[in-house]
Amino acid sequence: MKSWNTICAYIGTKYMSELYTDILKNNFKGVAMSKEELSRVDEKLTLETDESRRDFLDKFSKGIFGGLIASGVVNALAPVQAKANMDGSNLNFSEPFKPFDLPPETPGEDGILRMMRDIQRALKKPIEQRHWKMVIDLRKCVGCDACSVSCAAENKLPPGVIYRPVIQQEIGSYPNVGHVTLPRPCMHCDEPPCVPVCPAEATWKRPDGIVVVDYDQCIGCRYCLNACPYDARTFDFGMEYIDGAADAPKVFLGKEKAGKYETEASYEYEKEWKREGDQSPIGNARKCHFCIPRIEKGMLPECVVTCIGRATYFGDGNDPQSLVSELIALPNAFRLKEEVGTHPSVYYIK
Amino acid sequence: MTREKMGNILVWILIIGFGAWGLPGILDRFANGHVNTAYGSYIPWGLWISAYIWLIGLSAGALMISVMTYVFGIGAVKKVGKMAFLVAIATLVGAMMAVGLDLGHPLRAFSLILDPNLHSMMGWMAVLYSAYFVTLCVELYFAIKKEQVRGEKQKSIKKILVVLGIWSIPLAFAFHGGVGGVFANVIAKPYWHGPMLPIVFLAGAFLSGGALFATVAYIWRPSQSKEEFLKMMIFLGKTTLALLILDEILELSEIYVGTFYSAYGEGHLWQQILFGQYWYTFWIVHILIGVLIPLFLLTAKSKSPGAIALAGLLIAGSFLAVRLNIVIPGMLDPEIKGIADAWVHSKLTFSYLPSIMEWQVLLFIVAVVMAVFMIGKKVLPIYQTAGDE
Repeated sequence: MKSWNTICAYIGTKYMSELYTDILKNNFKGVAMSKEELSRVDEKLTLETDESRRDFLDKFSKGIFGGLIASGVVNALAPVQAKANMDGSNLNFSEPFKPFDLPPETPGEDGILRMMRDIQRALKKPIEQRHWKMVIDLRKCVGCDACSVSCAAENKLPPGVIYRPVIQQEIGSYPNVGHVTLPRPCMHCDEPPCVPVCPAEATWKRPDGIVVVDYDQCIGCRYCLNACPYDARTFDFGMEYIDGAADAPKVFLGKEKAGKYETEASYEYEKEWKREGDQSPIGNARKCHFCIPRIEKGMLPECVVTCIGRATYFGDGNDPQSLVSELIALPNAFRLKEEVGTHPSVYYIK
Repeated sequence: MTREKMGNILVWILIIGFGAWGLPGILDRFANGHVNTAYGSYIPWGLWISAYIWLIGLSAGALMISVMTYVFGIGAVKKVGKMAFLVAIATLVGAMMAVGLDLGHPLRAFSLILDPNLHSMMGWMAVLYSAYFVTLCVELYFAIKKEQVRGEKQKSIKKILVVLGIWSIPLAFAFHGGVGGVFANVIAKPYWHGPMLPIVFLAGAFLSGGALFATVAYIWRPSQSKEEFLKMMIFLGKTTLALLILDEILELSEIYVGTFYSAYGEGHLWQQILFGQYWYTFWIVHILIGVLIPLFLLTAKSKSPGAIALAGLLIAGSFLAVRLNIVIPGMLDPEIKGIADAWVHSKLTFSYLPSIMEWQVLLFIVAVVMAVFMIGKKVLPIYQTAGDE
């Protein structure tokens, strides 16, 4: 939710947050958005995007404030989502994707909107005709770790489990020193070395290019962790953030209160996962999955929408019209460790 | 007091001591899972996986002795074939315990026996170990049965044992070479990756298992004349010496090639092994205790059964250090430089020293291995000989 608020702040309209709430309703609760509501959103957004750039910048500063208000609006509506998220009963991931209306395409529009359009287009195709790819522009990455943190929040990652760390390195020697930041999600390789080594066939590559893990099948041998040439898999050791915290019942920051995060379920792979006892995903290998539950509903991965520098792009690499396809074709696009022959689906631009 | 009695008392003291010391570790493993282990996500395998290779190697080596007895009919070891099966079974049980406790979901591993991924060398392990365990039990059954019958029946059982023995040769090569393959297949780890490792694993297995058996046969020898006993020990000593020399040639070859370009590939890892923080595991535990002293004992005192048994014990015991030096250094290199500092946590580091709980679990496993052997020795008629007709 917070990620969308960021976009709301950027675009400067509360209608976007309403739209998002409707998307949630539409997909999670099966309640369709009324036509009047949709046209209202369209009209407002068209007006917004028709304004001149200078006006936009003016709006932008106000938009930050607007976004904050939008956050308030969204938060007011939050119980709808909270309810859906908390008990999981309202989530229906088996329902096919229902396209939702996006604002009309305009020149110079925000990349997020374009990528959402790309996703919608891709989702209309059969799964085997899509190939999800990610592009990370290292020139834009500021190393803020927002993607890592939002990913951990989205997937309720426990301590020691990380899907997308941001590697920071100083290069050169004084006085010629540079700083490199490199976010490292799972590479979703076309030839993933982690897949054939799994003794339990608990990990495989989906037809759309995403390498997934079946938590119920995984025996926790950690062979895949060793096999990955990018250290992209981590093991869920069953640790909790509140380990060692003091018990302080009925107190604001007691172990029980602080541990609320730990008991919330994650919805990876479109299933409800509660970390309890030694149940999966505890004792399993875990990794980035490009936020499958989000993209299957037409949303962008959490790391893409929370990137403050707009450095992360996502879309269908099989679609020549998509933004990622354009970026991958740039001469300064590259992939990590090409020499190991894994053919990653994640590209970098330097 | 006879040697056997002294051995029994000493081993039972060790079983009780190791068991009592190790029990808290086992309880911790069941109560808290992997939380109190020192391995993490970047060094995912630690002491238990090293112990598993060590124990499965001892098992494969003991099996080799039984093959010598029943397939090649080597007279010197003909009375200890059954004991070799028992050692192989006990160490196999320990190896399976070590790898089982290392898994995140051990119970799920049983499904691998029926439905493994045969692209994965580890998937093959589930099939091969099951086949190996069944083979060992059937072989031990027939080896015992052989001593209880006479005439035609004994001849037919002998034939069965030869067939089973021949079958267990490729099986031993497959399952232990396969363990080497589990590591050698990993292209991401240059220190492991390559065709040498399965061969090195096999040589190490036959050496350590054969060496252990020299000790076992010395303490719990079957009733045999002094000459027979001496003949058996000298044979075991010579076999161990030959395997020790072979193993060292392979190790030297690995070190030579590995360190040739010190700045490239695995050179710096060898630097770590030879001169790094844990140099003593290589030089003291492996080279001094596991190679030089046994080499002296097996050459200068080649006719002394006690010296051969001691050499065997030193080699077999210190071989855990060899296994640790294969498993751990392979994982010390970050795949991407700087990743350990990207998201800081105790399970996301590139250093490893086994935790006390890990050592406790290992001691418990060793206690179980010894207990299985001692109880098996007591319950099964492994000393019974009816004489061949």
